Amino acid sequence: MEQLLEILQDIDDSVDYETETKLIDDHILDSFGIITLIGEIEETFDIEVDAAEMTPENFNSAKAMWSMIQRLQEN
Amino acid sequence: MAIHTNLYLLVFLPLVMLIYQLVPRNKRWGVLLSASYVLYFSFSRFLVLLLMATSAFTWKIALWMDDLGAQSAQKQKECADRKQKSEVKKDFQKKRVKVLRLGVLVLLGILFYVNYYNFVAQNVNVFLGALGAKLPMARVLFPMGISFYTLEAVGYMADVYWERYPAEKHLGKVALFLSFFPQIMEGPIARFPDTAEALFSGAPIQMANINEGLLRILWGLSKKMVVSDRLTLLTNLIFGNYKNYHGSFIIMAAITYTIQLYMEFSGSIDIVIGSGKIFGVTIPENFNQPFSAQSAAEFWRRWHMSLGNWFKNYVFYPMTVSPMVKNWSKKARKKYGKYWSMVGTSAMALFPVWVATGVWHGAGWKYLFYGMYYFVILLLGVALEPLKEKRNKKLGIDPNASWFKTLRILKTWVIIFTGELFFNAKTLTAGFEMFFSIFGNFHISSIWKYWPDDLLTTGDVYAIVGGCIIVWIVGFLKEHGWDARKKILESATPARWSILFTLVFALLLFGAYGTGYQPVDLIYAGF
Repeated sequence: MEQLLEILQDIDDSVDYETETKLIDDHILDSFGIITLIGEIEETFDIEVDAAEMTPENFNSAKAMWSMIQRLQEN
Repeated sequence: MAIHTNLYLLVFLPLVMLIYQLVPRNKRWGVLLSASYVLYFSFSRFLVLLLMATSAFTWKIALWMDDLGAQSAQKQKECADRKQKSEVKKDFQKKRVKVLRLGVLVLLGILFYVNYYNFVAQNVNVFLGALGAKLPMARVLFPMGISFYTLEAVGYMADVYWERYPAEKHLGKVALFLSFFPQIMEGPIARFPDTAEALFSGAPIQMANINEGLLRILWGLSKKMVVSDRLTLLTNLIFGNYKNYHGSFIIMAAITYTIQLYMEFSGSIDIVIGSGKIFGVTIPENFNQPFSAQSAAEFWRRWHMSLGNWFKNYVFYPMTVSPMVKNWSKKARKKYGKYWSMVGTSAMALFPVWVATGVWHGAGWKYLFYGMYYFVILLLGVALEPLKEKRNKKLGIDPNASWFKTLRILKTWVIIFTGELFFNAKTLTAGFEMFFSIFGNFHISSIWKYWPDDLLTTGDVYAIVGGCIIVWIVGFLKEHGWDARKKILESATPARWSILFTLVFALLLFGAYGTGYQPVDLIYAGF
C-alpha cells in the first residue's frame, strides 16, 4: 500500500489519497493520470491490468486500487 | 413527431402516461416499448424493424457470451490442476471474444454502411476513376437514432463480455433500454444499469416526478424556443452566404452557432430527461455547464458527456491497456523516460477516440477535421502540462486565482468557437475560408452597419441576450452549489406552480413564433 501511495503522490501530491473515495467520479484523477498510474503499478507490482478492470470502482480510492492489485497478484 | 413538438408534448406524452398508469404494473414496460416503436415508426417507418432486429441481435450475442462463460466455469470445476483450469479458461475466452467481435462488427458495419458508404465510395471513385472503374452509389435510408442506439448496444455487449454485469435474459428489457422513446433521437447514450431496471419496473407515476419532469421539459423548451430558434436564422444566413460577410460577422456566427447548438441540444436533452423522470427513470445527464470549463479536456467532460464517457470507457481505456500500446509504453519508458512514454501512450489512445468522435458526427472531411482538431489540442494540453507548471512557478502565478481561471475560460471559449465554426461550415474548404477571412477582413463596426434587421429585431436580440443571461446565472449558481431547479421543487406548492406558469407564459410570449420562424429540427437527431 505504501508503494501505491507513493506512485499516486508522484502523479498529484495535492490529494489526500488515504481518505479520498471519488478520485474518478470527481475527476481528481483524469484519463492521463490513469495512463501513468497503470504503467507504474504494472511495473511495480508485476501485474497485468486488462480492459475489464478499467472501471471507476477499481480506481476511485487508493484502497480500491490496492484490492484490485492484490486480486490480480493472486491470479 | 419530434420531442419538442406540440404533438409529442400535448398528445403523445400525456397519452402514454395515461395508458401506462392504467395497465397492470407488470405490463407497463410493454406500454413504453410500444410507445417507443410508434414514435420511431413516425420517423423512420419500417426501419423500426431494423431497430427491433438490432435489439434481438444484441440480446442474443450477450446471452451467448454469458452461456460460454457458464460453460467455462463448469469445465474449470472439472479440471484437476491449475494449469488445466487456465487452459480451459483461455479457450473459452477466445470463443467469447469471437462472439463479441461478431456482435460489434455487425452493428458497426450497419452504422458504417448507413452513414459512410456513399462518402467512402465518392472518395474512392476519385482514384478508381483513373482506372476507369467506379463503385456504385447506394440509395441508403437513414434509420433515426442509429448512431445513438448502436453505441448503447455495443457498450452493453462489451460490458457483458468484461463481466461487469450478467446478460439480460428478458428480450423486452434489452429492447426497451435501446429504444426508449425520449432518448432514441438524440441520446443521451446510456449504459444498461443506468436505465434498464427503472424502465422495466413499471413504477407508478408520482406527482413529485411529474413536477420535476415538467419543470425540466419547460426549461428545455425555453432554451430551445427563446434563444436557439431565434439564432438559427442568423447563423444559417451567415454560414450559408459567408462570402458576403465581413470577418467580424464570421466571429459572431461562430459564437451564435455555438450558443444555438448548446441551447438546442441541451434544451432537447432537458426534454428527454424530463420525459424519463415522469416515468421514474433517471436518464444520465449530458451537459454540466460546459462554458465554465478551463481547458478543452474539461470542456469535453462537460459537453455531450454521454458520448465522451462512451469513448472513454470503450475506446480510450481499452486502447490504453491493449497489449500493443502497453508494450510500446514499457519500451518507451526505458528508452525515452516517463514523460515521453506518457505522451506517446496518450497519443495512441486519443487518436482513435477523436477519429471516431469526428466521424461519428457524420460523413465528411469537416467532421474528421473537427476530431483531429481536438486530438491535437488535447494532446498538446497533456504534453505542455510540465511546461505550464514551470511557467506558473517562475512567474509566481497562482493557478487558483480568479483572474487566471477567467483567462483560461476565455481561452477555452476561443477553442470551442473555432471548433464549432468548422463543425457547422458547409464543407471543410468553406470552414477554412471562413476562418481565414476573420484575419483578412475584420471590421467590428460592420456588425452595426450591415446588421440583418429583417431577421433579428432589437426585441429578438433582447430575448436572446436575456435568455443567455438567465441560463448563465442558473448554471453559475449550480456550479457554486445552489441548484435552482431543486429549490423550486422543494418550495411550497403555490410558489412552484407560479414558477411553472411563468415559464409557460415566458414560452408563449418570448418563444420564436410567427412568420419567418420554423420550429427548428433537432440538430443532433441528424447524426
